[in-house]
Amino acid sequence: MMTFAPLLLVLLPVVAALVSFALPERLSAWRNGANIGVAFVKLLVVAYLLLQAQAGVVFEWRYEFLPGYDFVLRLDPLALLFVTLSVFLWLLTTIYAIAYFDRGPNLPRFFGFFNLCVLAATGVAMSGTAITFFLFYELLTLATWPLVTHRGDDKSLRAGQTYLTYTLAGSVTFLAGILWLQSLVGAIEFSAPANLGAIPPLTLTLIFILCIGGLGVKAAIIPFHGWLPEAMAAPAPVSALLHAVAVVKAGAFGIVRVIYDVYGIGTVAELGLGVPLAALASATILYGSARALMQSDLKKRLAYSTVSQVSYIVLGASLVGPFAVIGGLVHLVHQGIMKITLFMCAGALANRMGITAIAELDGAGRLMPATMAAFSVGALGMIGMPPVAGFISKWYLGVGALQSDAAWAVAVLAGSSLLNAAYFLPLLYRAWLLPPPPGRPAIAELATTRDRMLILPAVVTAVVSLGAGIFASLSFSPLGWATLVGQGYLR
Amino acid sequence: MSPLDLLVAVPLGFMLATLLAGRAARWLILLAVPAMAGLAFWLVLVSPDAAYLIGHWDLPLGILLRPDGVARLMVAATALVIGAVGLHALVDPPEKAGNAAQAETFWPLIYLLWAGANAGFLTTDLFNLYVTLEMVSLAAVALAAMGSLEAALRYFMIALVGSLAYLLGVALLVARYNTVDVTLLSQVAQPDLATMLALGLMTAGLLIKAALFPMHGWLPPAHAAAPAPASALLSAIAVKLGFVILLRLWFEAFPAVTGQPALHVLGGAGALAVIYGSVQAMRQQRLKALVAYSTVAQVGYLFLAFPLVAGAPDPSGAWAGMMMHAVAHMLAKASMFLAAGLMLKAAAGHRIGDLGGLAQAMPMTVTSFGLAAVSLMGLPPSGGFTGKFLLLNAAIAQGAFLYAGVMILGGLLAAVYFFRALSACFGAGPAPREPAIRGVCTAAPLVLAGLAIVIGFAGSALDTLSAIAAPWAAPGVAAP
Amino acid sequence: MTADPTVLLPLAVLWPMLLAGLALLPGWGPRMVLLLPLGPLPALAAALVASRDVPVALPGVLLDSGLELGATGALFLGGAATLWFWAGVYAAFYMRHDGRPAAFALFWNLVLAGNLGVFIAGDIVTFYVFFALVSLLAYPLVIHDRQPASMRAGTVYLVLAVCGEVAILVGLMLASFGAGGAIGIEAVRAGLALPSAHPAAVPLLIAGFGIKAGLMPLHVWLPVAHPAAPVPASAVLSGSIVKAGIFGLVAFLPLGMPTAVAGNVLMILGFSGLFLAALMGLAQAGAKAVLAYSTVSQMGLVMGVLGFALAEGSAPAAVLPAVALFALHHGLAKGALFLGVGLAPVCGRAWRWGLLGGMAVLGLSLAGMQLLAGALVKSALKDQAGAFGATLIGLSALTTALAMARCLAVLPRAKSRCRPPLLMALPFLALSGAALWLPWLLYARITGTIPLTADLRSLIFEAWPLGLAALLIAGAVAVGLKAPGLSAGDALGPVQRWMAALSAAARAAERAGSRSLRRSRPKPQTVIGEDLDRIEDVFREGAAAAILVLAIAGAVVAASLI
Repeated sequence: MMTFAPLLLVLLPVVAALVSFALPERLSAWRNGANIGVAFVKLLVVAYLLLQAQAGVVFEWRYEFLPGYDFVLRLDPLALLFVTLSVFLWLLTTIYAIAYFDRGPNLPRFFGFFNLCVLAATGVAMSGTAITFFLFYELLTLATWPLVTHRGDDKSLRAGQTYLTYTLAGSVTFLAGILWLQSLVGAIEFSAPANLGAIPPLTLTLIFILCIGGLGVKAAIIPFHGWLPEAMAAPAPVSALLHAVAVVKAGAFGIVRVIYDVYGIGTVAELGLGVPLAALASATILYGSARALMQSDLKKRLAYSTVSQVSYIVLGASLVGPFAVIGGLVHLVHQGIMKITLFMCAGALANRMGITAIAELDGAGRLMPATMAAFSVGALGMIGMPPVAGFISKWYLGVGALQSDAAWAVAVLAGSSLLNAAYFLPLLYRAWLLPPPPGRPAIAELATTRDRMLILPAVVTAVVSLGAGIFASLSFSPLGWATLVGQGYLR
Repeated sequence: MSPLDLLVAVPLGFMLATLLAGRAARWLILLAVPAMAGLAFWLVLVSPDAAYLIGHWDLPLGILLRPDGVARLMVAATALVIGAVGLHALVDPPEKAGNAAQAETFWPLIYLLWAGANAGFLTTDLFNLYVTLEMVSLAAVALAAMGSLEAALRYFMIALVGSLAYLLGVALLVARYNTVDVTLLSQVAQPDLATMLALGLMTAGLLIKAALFPMHGWLPPAHAAAPAPASALLSAIAVKLGFVILLRLWFEAFPAVTGQPALHVLGGAGALAVIYGSVQAMRQQRLKALVAYSTVAQVGYLFLAFPLVAGAPDPSGAWAGMMMHAVAHMLAKASMFLAAGLMLKAAAGHRIGDLGGLAQAMPMTVTSFGLAAVSLMGLPPSGGFTGKFLLLNAAIAQGAFLYAGVMILGGLLAAVYFFRALSACFGAGPAPREPAIRGVCTAAPLVLAGLAIVIGFAGSALDTLSAIAAPWAAPGVAAP
Repeated sequence: MTADPTVLLPLAVLWPMLLAGLALLPGWGPRMVLLLPLGPLPALAAALVASRDVPVALPGVLLDSGLELGATGALFLGGAATLWFWAGVYAAFYMRHDGRPAAFALFWNLVLAGNLGVFIAGDIVTFYVFFALVSLLAYPLVIHDRQPASMRAGTVYLVLAVCGEVAILVGLMLASFGAGGAIGIEAVRAGLALPSAHPAAVPLLIAGFGIKAGLMPLHVWLPVAHPAAPVPASAVLSGSIVKAGIFGLVAFLPLGMPTAVAGNVLMILGFSGLFLAALMGLAQAGAKAVLAYSTVSQMGLVMGVLGFALAEGSAPAAVLPAVALFALHHGLAKGALFLGVGLAPVCGRAWRWGLLGGMAVLGLSLAGMQLLAGALVKSALKDQAGAFGATLIGLSALTTALAMARCLAVLPRAKSRCRPPLLMALPFLALSGAALWLPWLLYARITGTIPLTADLRSLIFEAWPLGLAALLIAGAVAVGLKAPGLSAGDALGPVQRWMAALSAAARAAERAGSRSLRRSRPKPQTVIGEDLDRIEDVFREGAAAAILVLAIAGAVVAASLI
């Protein structure tokens, strides 16, 4: 029966989505209950799957949706890594979103598409063939668009347009890449990399460029990153979701799949494709950090920080060394947890005190200590300060870069750490050390309207990102799991 | 009795009944929908060798109705589209204010269209095909006339040119081979000048009916003016008949006559249609004109597939892709016209900028529009994607990168213009008027759009269906 | 505790963290200040009784980290715990009316945990975690009073600390990679000694730890940050926290393998710091600033010796005990001196003379006055510093003594006749006692030689720099010479001005760039649009359709004929 487990993960959000679309606004309590309930059930399913996976069981569900092309949902360790991340963070984001919006317009639509997004993200993770991956990848694009334009003002509509322009162009590029490859080797299964030996290197290189170029749009690699900062017009739960779990991660995850499960490390190394990609990722890391430094809007700064951080994953994947792979994969999880913390905190600040610009952060720590404490943990983690999880990623990436004979990448990491410190520490400084400007609500006044559900998710993720760093070498920590995945590829 | 002749006879019967029933005519659709759905379902399941000769005369005198894959798919899709449009029109009759008589003309016309389309999809006799073509054209012109007489007249004039060209070609063939049956022709056809001239004339005539660029001129004005249900039928069905007859001609009757260069003439026109239609759609300010130009672009894909089917070592993929695209377009475009009609009733004006606030006011209808758009853009998961995926696959496998590029570009351009409309719906705007829209009206486009999405998951089944008695699979008839 | 003394190692760091956690509880914060002295007790016990060189594995934590107490580490740990304890006692009294007691207790305990953890870390990741803890969380201690000067000092401190962290991280990565991915400290140090080690590893580590320990050009934060903190925090900053940097060098420098370039650079920088910092200290107006410069100077001395040993390839077994002993003495003495500066405002008349006397003895000990503990530890270092180095160390007595005299001269005055409270005086006395007595106690055990082997004549002969200092001081007092005034942090002012100018320029360039981008955006084209309309009109004509039919038919025929 549990061969249907992967399918269950896909179908459960559909149920939640339909419930959300169908229930009228006056039954919002039922809608919220259904959303949290489904997210919770998914978490239980994932927990069960994790236990099974440790025993070595790989679930797979297959359906021939076109002759010769199977729709495959497969839960290999890499898939589980991403599924666990998305399902866990989704539960928290759902709770957060309910508290964030409270009562607002268009909520049935919002939660409906929200669930479609989780469906697409878990689907992307579980895809066992390139074509399945593309199906979910596109669904993700579509399901995210109404979320980006949720507010319906000019700014969000423009952001939605930019988002689509970039991502759809990326998608068709990616599609062209996989179709080309399929025309040469047949349907692409991730579980069994095709033999690419007979294909001329130039063709392989071109296909690689098409695939990575297409996926790189969602992963926000320069010069395809333009959509991301603009998408900040969306409400905070959406930003949290886009940046931490869904969209950018799907791109980065796809790049990992292409390098490791479509081409294989050997082929990538032979073609010499790893180093240029790593160089591009490095440029993105530095450029994103530098741009983040110039932003005066809190969410914009976080967005550029995402541009920079997601490329760590790409960097790790493209360096194809044992530690680098692990570093990249573990950053997939770590960045997710830490960045979602930051965005949820930013949303809470905007929601409770109307803070959107960095200059308005003064004294926020005194007024909302729990929120800012969580924010601080996330920010320190992004800088790579131990013992927050970000340090573990950076360590593995750095040593991995050396193993791959790419000492320059260590310099990139160091430079990025400095830039990260330069754009995060001033925020903490303002929040904790400067007095709040006149006109801010008093602490007592804030306490009367406090909504714990708005703060709790961020605190949980902050604690988790601390725990993921401090207890990194436990076998079920993100690092433990990433090591398992990485060893699978290097064997 | 066989579903084959019933599929033609029953709608004709309903047409007569509506003419007799007077004001109660509209309610007949409640009978027609289950009857036709059952017949279509029967047809889908009927044994492949259940060819039926009307009157049991042998060829060449008798009329052969044949349930091949193309017919099964198109007849079933036609039943779905006309059924949904009919139910929609039952609740929300297509009429101008104070002109109730106009609504009554609608009902006989759709049965005529239904009968003509079914007959056209099932028969393989070129002269009978002419008759069905005329039936459908007549119905289509009359439907277009419900909106604007001027556009309808223009359509009529251009359709007449097409019909004449087609008839001229048939006459040439009769003179040359003394038969007009596709199956017989395929056995005797010679690549001589007369045959080629006949094929050229018939093709050109049919392209007018199919509204392929550059003969699409009649389509946008006719669609833009006609009431929404009429536009839905024109775009979904009337255009497809020309396409199906061309399939019969090029792949069944004259595969020995047509060469790669000729196929590329069609393919090239299709590619140009994709680009040109998309660019024009992007420039439209009115919603219905946008949707109409989208049809121009989508028809391009069908013809772009011709050289891909012919050139493939194993044409099954491209063939299935082409058929799936046709079916998905029928469902999605019908849904989109119905949804657009509802949206325009609620919106302040006919321009895209007037759509603001609709996503809040009528979420289901905007969802239908969105789902249909997803399929038309070829985004997964949808029938449009599956079809385009198979075509792209074939194009890349054959090294036809130009066609592949056009398809990819077309998808992107479609995204640009459809999302422009959707974006407007999501934006702020004046509070929309609240028309008394009943459930069925909302449900009809939603069901059609949902089906366009769902068939994306049934790719294998549609592939099997489309391959039944397909020309490339028939023994003795080799693909060129 | 008797059962397994190794459990003391994790306890040594977990206990202060627990206390820090308690400070977060609402209502507990102010009370936790009173418990500050409790923090270092497990560490003190560990330094005394925990088994040496027995690794304690902590599976699952970080990268399967471990703790281990080596002989050198034990000395550092014991000295630090002693200083933190007495400073804690002082702080419990001194900070009792403070406005932000909870924050002080929180960060005090966290920094304590990091400081102690550095000395007992068994692998580089654990080491780095604790090092970052002690480095970064000392920032809130520096800016505790929120005065503008403190905030500026804190910013400088933080910027350099972060740079130092990054340098150390990269250095450790390179080192770990060179050691085949090992993370044990001993293995990594052995890897650094291999010829295959990355050439940048040692310089990066020196830079990183040098920032923390106040290596000469990187020292600018120290003289501004140390004095900015409250008195007890200044004491631990200068006495113990800088030692984390020294310990980093002790733990990672590949001693025993001659490393000429890095070693010589370190030596030159260290010894220049020894003199220059003391001279700059002379020009300071605040007693705490003078003491901070003296710290830079003394740490320069240690690093100079380490540099010499590195360049020479001296065996670690010979060098490290001497370094550890020196660090112990300096930590306790400097801590006591800072506490003494804090005592000065509450010491009226007779008490003041007592305080001045005590501080003078400590100062002379630091300067290396014969028969005091300072001379003892310096003699141990001189043996490892080569002839030139030993001479320099001997000469440094002059500058150190002058700086100490300056410190006493600018000691703040007492406001009225008052006597120091016991809880402030006792830590000063205890630390002074420990500083003067512990080296004597431990010298033989640690260095393996008997103290004071030199004969009396050479002792007196070597005392000439001190004598010269005494003459100079007497002369200066006699003529009423005023020292030149230098702002604390010497090179900091110009650097900050340049940075401000640079960032302004970058901003201006960015603005100019985005303006030009906006200007160069193309205008929308309308001509093509009109053409498209005209084309579309042609297609809508019936006549055109007829012509097109013929054209298409012709095209099909023609194409079929090809």
